[in-house]
Amino acid sequence: MKRPPMLMHVKIRGEGRGFGLWLPLFLLLPLALALFIIVSPLILIAILVFWPRGWRKRALHIFGATFEVFNSMRGLKVDVQSGHDYVYISAV
Amino acid sequence: MDENKKKILEMLAENKISTDEAYRLLSVLEPEGSTSEGTPKAGTAARMKSKYLHVCVLPGLDHEHGGKGDRVNIRVPMALIRSGMKFTSLLPPEARDKVTGALREKGIDFDMRNLKPEDLDELLEALSDLEVDVASSDGETVKVFVE
Repeated sequence: MKRPPMLMHVKIRGEGRGFGLWLPLFLLLPLALALFIIVSPLILIAILVFWPRGWRKRALHIFGATFEVFNSMRGLKVDVQSGHDYVYISAV
Repeated sequence: MDENKKKILEMLAENKISTDEAYRLLSVLEPEGSTSEGTPKAGTAARMKSKYLHVCVLPGLDHEHGGKGDRVNIRVPMALIRSGMKFTSLLPPEARDKVTGALREKGIDFDMRNLKPEDLDELLEALSDLEVDVASSDGETVKVFVE
């Protein structure tokens, strides 16, 4: 199984102003899990409502694919500079 | 040892070729040798090791002298591309038909419905050989490669 990213470094700089942020994703994961547990009854209702329309399989697939994309983000680096604007995103 | 490799080493010993030339010749023979020795998976394994797709745009000389050249350095994990491509199966059938129609208009006969996971692996494996290196007249360079 792939290891999910633990930290995300975001740096954005405009003309004169900017900020840098270290996002502790490993702390956000338990929060996301808690949120998922809270929202799960609503998700269950939505699945039941959309069951006849064949959306059940698609909804489950979306969850799986989103989780896999998140887990594969480790090593992603975006470093773009245009004039004075600068964006840096890195998943560690 | 392979007959060709022996010949190269003999030529090197006789000083008919330089070490650089010998190295180049041996490296040309290497893939051939590896497949003939029954290890075709070695090449595939080496390709599968490629972990990142890099896209780099470096500004030209005018940027170094205060110009406004853009600089891009993006590194995308291959695993992320693989996972992202799985989202194509989530596209609604209408959208998929539109994409297929648009591709057909451009002369590309490709149906996304026929894209299987094994095709995806093959596609990503082929991507490992990709290397784009473009240099414009103003010095700006664009590089796309997999490592």
